[in-house]
Formats: sequence, structure tokens, C-alpha cells
Amino acid sequence: MPSLRLENVSKRFGGLTAVGDVSLTVPEGTITGLIGPNGAGKSTVVNLITGMLKLTEGRIVLGDEDIGEIGPEEVVRKGIARTFQNIRLLPEATVLENVLIGFHRHETASILAGLLNLPSVWREGKALRKQAEALLERFRMSDYADLPAGGLAYGHQRRVEMMRAVASGPDVLLLDEPVAGMNDVEADELGVIFKDLAASGMGLLLIEHNVRFVTKLCPVVHVLNTGRMIASGPAEEVMRDPAVITAYLGKGQA
Amino acid sequence: MMSYYQAYQPIIDFFLLNLGFAYSQQVALRAGVFSVATAGFGALGAYASAILVTRMGISPALAIATATLVGTAVGFLLSVPLARLRGVFQAIATLAFVEVIVSFLYYAEGITGGAIGINNIPRMVSTPALLAAVAAVMYVTWAIGRSGVGRAFDALRQDETVAACLGVSIRNYHALAFVLSGAIGGLFGGLQSLYVFSIEPGQFGFGFMVAILTAIVLGGRGTLIGPVAGCAILALLPEIARPLAENRPLVNGVILIAVIIYLPQGVGDGLLLQWRNRRSARRARAIEEASRAVP
Repeated sequence: MPSLRLENVSKRFGGLTAVGDVSLTVPEGTITGLIGPNGAGKSTVVNLITGMLKLTEGRIVLGDEDIGEIGPEEVVRKGIARTFQNIRLLPEATVLENVLIGFHRHETASILAGLLNLPSVWREGKALRKQAEALLERFRMSDYADLPAGGLAYGHQRRVEMMRAVASGPDVLLLDEPVAGMNDVEADELGVIFKDLAASGMGLLLIEHNVRFVTKLCPVVHVLNTGRMIASGPAEEVMRDPAVITAYLGKGQA
Repeated sequence: MMSYYQAYQPIIDFFLLNLGFAYSQQVALRAGVFSVATAGFGALGAYASAILVTRMGISPALAIATATLVGTAVGFLLSVPLARLRGVFQAIATLAFVEVIVSFLYYAEGITGGAIGINNIPRMVSTPALLAAVAAVMYVTWAIGRSGVGRAFDALRQDETVAACLGVSIRNYHALAFVLSGAIGGLFGGLQSLYVFSIEPGQFGFGFMVAILTAIVLGGRGTLIGPVAGCAILALLPEIARPLAENRPLVNGVILIAVIIYLPQGVGDGLLLQWRNRRSARRARAIEEASRAVP
């Protein structure tokens, strides 16, 4: 699977530099951490990668293809999926339907076949349903398949969003604060799934506040502060970096 | 039985015609497109088939097929400039489209007969033809619901950003919604003009638009049964409330408000949703009890 590279990426909103000169790599088969205090520009990085925001400067490369200039719909088709910091499910749809829409980019039946309900459509629908059910099994959500997603508990909604992202079969998965608001047990359960996904060759970019969680999962951690990369490297080293401690705890705490 | 049928046949026929227009309106709303262009598509289809039949002597089947094609083409053309508009702006733009069409029908007297319209249309459409057309449209609507197209529409309606992030092409699917709405609108416009003997521009104005939109608000915008429920209420209401005939707009208004307050998803969708929620509440309770049983 191709790896994702950000080269000197910048985003300015008028005079404000939300992200300045950020470079990082999300190699295949690993979980890369991206941490930083509130307003550091973490979510902006995700929005830049997924094409929801336009780059001011720099390059975003997947494998050897420049994907910096394309819109969100194409970015998915190149193999990048994301979750949202504030969960965004399709509230009226059931859990299973939420996961099914994740397979959209793999659907091959033509629109005309869909309008006429030709056999190719129901064959494909059946196959997708099977895959979706397997995914529910993997995330231990099978019991909830037919419940409306909007009514689920918070932690379960997070899982649905993740399943939907995984359903699109990405090479690179961007997780925007996936364990925010979860307790350690729930977070660790998800951590196991993330490790599994990485083991299957997927590259994960984990954006988090929960430093304990990140250091446990990520061999390499990047730290953003006010849009700049202030430290990169192995988790233990980065956590001892004075600049990181200052950014998180304020001056005079180190 | 037969005499009942004969007495109510016009009501049934108008119910079927309105049902077709309601599906044209519904398919747009389902994809998150707030279009009220159905009236415009219907007008174009009606005039196309009326002109073809009365002036060129073309067979009704061919005329209705042409009306469908006109609706389809105009639906696609309309989707291009409207691709960047959303919500209420889309509604205003499509409202303007309807007004432009109606004005055109008034002013292009040479082609459309102006305010007098076209009055010598033979009745060439009967109940079975209307039933067949409604069945075809219902089949397509049902098929959409079972396919990836329906999933893409539902995703677009509920959260466009999420849909885009899952690879759903907003532009293509919105265009598809306009095309389908146009095709169905054109088809039923064509059928209507070959049923009602005469057409004039006023039929397709604001009142028509509101009536179709009301059918969807009453019935529901998500399910196959929604438009049926909405159109049935609108068709039966005047019959049931005949003693209140003079106050019909008032009765319509009261019912609309009651539905919006108590069944905001519409009668059809609302009842279906209540049933689903009750079932899922039972499921959720069962899951909870099962997890409690495991020590």
C-alpha cells in the first residue's frame, strides 16, 4: 500500500497561518501520531489531506501521486478515508446502512441498473451486506445492526463512524480524535482494532489529545503547536522535549 | 361495485396524476435537492404532448414519450447552473424556473395559445394507462431505495460533507435527481394534457407547485408509501369534508399544521418510523438484558 507524505504544507486564512510548513509521513502498516494542544492545527491538517480545504503551499503525495489539488470525492477514490472530530453519522439511517454507504466507491453496478433493480444490483447489494456484517462483527457491533445510528451511545457512534471509514477500503486512514470522551477500557479496545488495521498494511494517522493512548500505539509522534511542527520522533523522546512540555503545560513547568 | 367505480373514477384518475407529480417532487427532496421545479417539468411535458397530438397528429404514446424526454433534458440542463446552490436558494431558483416557464407559455402565443391555452385535445389517456405509468414510477422509486443510488441520495440528504468524504459525487447525484424529477414530471405532464381536454399556463403555476409540495409534506419524503398517503389525503379530503366545502382551504390548512406538529416526517414516513423505532427499542432492551445476564 502506498504511504502518504506531506511536504512543507501550509494553510493561511487571510493573515492567519493555521498550518505552516508542516512535513510528515504516514508509512504503510504503522500508526503515526499527531498531537498538539487545542487550536494547534491538527484538524486543519486532516481537512487539507482530504481536500476539504485548499492548500496555500506545499505538496501532499500518496505513493507517487500528487493529491494536493483534488476535491474530497476524488481523495476517497485514491484511498484515503477519515473520521470526524465531532461524530458525523447519517442519523436517520441504521448502523448497517451507515456502514453500507462506506462501500460506495467500490460499487460497480451502473446507475441505470440501480434504477431498474437489475440482478447485478441485488447480487452486489448482497455481497456488500455480507462485507458490512463482517465489519460489524469485527467491531463487535453486530447486535446493533438494525438500530438507528442517531440513537446509539457515544462510544458506539464512534465505532460506526470508524467502520464506515474502514468500509471504503482505504490505504490511509485519518482518525480525528477517535477516543475523545472514552474511558481507558473503551479506548484500549479501539487501540487493538487500530493495531489490527495497521497490521493489515494500512497506514493510520492518529490525531489525539490523549497522550497516554498515542504513546502506547505510535512508534512515531509529531507535535503541532500554533500550526508549526515543534517535535517529531519516537514517542518517549518527544514527550521529554522541553518545547513539547512548554506547549502542553506552559512555561516554567519543565 | 361498478357504479361506485364510475362515480369515483375522476377522483381516482386525478389521484394517479397527482401521485406521479408527487414522486417527481419526492425524488428531488430525497437527494437533498430542494427543488420545486416539478410544476415546470409538468408544464413543458403537457404542452409538448398537446402540441404534438393536436397540430402534428402524432400518436399519443410517442407524444408522451417525447414529453418525458423533454422533462429529462430540461431537468439535466437545470441541474448545471444550480449545481452550486443549496437549500432555500435552490428552492428560489427553481421557483424562478417555474415562473419563467409559465411566463413563456403566456407570451409565446403562436406556439402555446397564450392565456387561452390549447383546448382541442382529445382524451387519449385512460385509467389503465395512468395506473401503468404510476406503477412504473413506483417501481423505479422502489428500485432506487434498494440500490447504491438510494444510499447515495440518502447520504447526500443527511450530510453532504460526509457523503463527499465517502466518495459520493455531489454534482453527479444532484444532476441525477434533477433528471429523474424532470423525467417523471414530463411524463405525467404529458399524461395529464391528454386526459384533461384543455391546458392553460395557470394550471402549472404557484398553486400547482404548492399542492404537490403539500402532498409530500403530508405523506413523507423518504418512503415509497409517503406520496401515496399524501395524495390520498388530498384526494379524499374534499369528499369527506363536503359539508365544509366552502371552508376547504381552512380544513386543508388545519390538517397540514396538525401533521407538521404531530407527524413531522409525514403520515406515511412518520408511521413507518414509529413502527421501526418501537421495534428497535425492543431490540435495544433485549441487548441490554442479555448483557446484564452475563455476569
